[in-house]
Amino acid sequence: MEIPETLRYTDDHEWVRIDGGRATIGITDFAQSALGDVVFVQLPEPGAAVARGATLGEVESTKSVSEVYAPLAGVVIEVNPELASSPERLNSDPYGLGWLCVIEVATGEDFATLLTAERYRELTQS
Amino acid sequence: MTLERSPLHAAHVELGATFVEFGGWEMPLSYPSGTLAEHLACRHGAVVFDVSHLGTVRLEGPGSFALLQATLTNDLGRIAPGGAQYSHLLAEHDASVLDDMIVWWLGEERFDVMPNASNTASVRAAIGGVDVTAGRVVLAVQGPRAREALAAVSPEAARVGRFRTVAFQLRGAACVAAGTGYTGEDGVECAVPAEVAGKVLADLLAAGAVPAGLGARDTLRLEAGLPLHGHELGPGITPLQAGLGWVVAWSKPTFAGREALAAERASGPRRLLRGLLGDGRRPLRSGMTCARTAGPIGGGQQGAGPRSETSDLAGEVVGQVTSGNFSPVLGRGIGLAFLAPDTPGGAELLVTGRGAGLPATVVRPPFHRLALPARS
Repeated sequence: MEIPETLRYTDDHEWVRIDGGRATIGITDFAQSALGDVVFVQLPEPGAAVARGATLGEVESTKSVSEVYAPLAGVVIEVNPELASSPERLNSDPYGLGWLCVIEVATGEDFATLLTAERYRELTQS
Repeated sequence: MTLERSPLHAAHVELGATFVEFGGWEMPLSYPSGTLAEHLACRHGAVVFDVSHLGTVRLEGPGSFALLQATLTNDLGRIAPGGAQYSHLLAEHDASVLDDMIVWWLGEERFDVMPNASNTASVRAAIGGVDVTAGRVVLAVQGPRAREALAAVSPEAARVGRFRTVAFQLRGAACVAAGTGYTGEDGVECAVPAEVAGKVLADLLAAGAVPAGLGARDTLRLEAGLPLHGHELGPGITPLQAGLGWVVAWSKPTFAGREALAAERASGPRRLLRGLLGDGRRPLRSGMTCARTAGPIGGGQQGAGPRSETSDLAGEVVGQVTSGNFSPVLGRGIGLAFLAPDTPGGAELLVTGRGAGLPATVVRPPFHRLALPARS
């Protein structure tokens, strides 16, 4: 199970890559493996404001439907346009080509509250 | 409750399977290549499913034929020893489908009846017989190249005709093959004693068959438009509602539930099972509501132009989805649904649930044989 050291995580199995005031979001290797083959991804429109912990979108596999939650509050500024036709990228490259969206993070949000790779690894092993 | 396991459980673990509970059994859901790859391997090549969770109820001795003929809906008189037949067991009072099953007619007064895992007890209550499920493995080899793979194990088994059965020997063990399946493809189902099953599985894999789990089995049967008990068949659902009138032999004087079913035939079923083709990738899902559209929901031809994904446009409710998923062959969401009987083929419906409003067209399965119009 791949858990890159440079990323932050949530206990709902999202990953966050922080770059200045922006956060790129996806689902973890653990999550994609548990979901199985992803066949559809529902994402918000760019411009949508999201609250921390609110539903950001949905990921549907051949066996289930799972919600994706916003790890941080902010405004969605970009969504991965390739996922509409190639949702399998969440399975094949969850930390790369399978990214979901980018959020312009609201002021006052504290990245330090997100899980480190070490903490997330403990979570997936418990 | 302890879950039953296939005698091949360790082999599935070795192959990297993830497991799922189904009908009291812990069976492979998928292998590392994943459900979609397994699905397409069945459509284009050969796969092998372990379906040991299916029950086998053996009926032997004088009166076996007469008992089955007087109980199940289909007419064994249409086939002969060595044949296989799909049939239903109905509830006497309302003609609900208690189980759907394949009957293997092995010898003059010798039958193996194969109910769904969780219905073996209710089938035995109706027809008696001996439960011989334990101690044997059933391997379903399916796909256009299934017989080629099976020939590596037994050329005799690989030659069995559609809806025919053949007894054959493997390393001195008595086995049965039947030209049946649940995928919409050609294939053979083999019942083999547990002690030779591991070798049979290994030989099938070496011959190019891909191991496939219940995930692919479900998407394959759905794409083929085949019913699953507990979804399209079950309490309150008759064969006529499910569009399976061909399973009912009215020429027979008796079968369980005949009177109740005859009453429904006279008045007309209140709902009919139909196929739904979504206009995008999003899977339709069991439990979603189907409504007529209150107004035009897209400009021009089917699939052309953007469509609103809200339920604001939903009109009169006409039914409910019983099974839904993604069709790997079509690249679209598909489903089976019970709809008002006057719903015409080609009707455009709005399927709603879980916050989604999905446009879908009433079509006639099998889905994987549909010719889709070119999309803009």
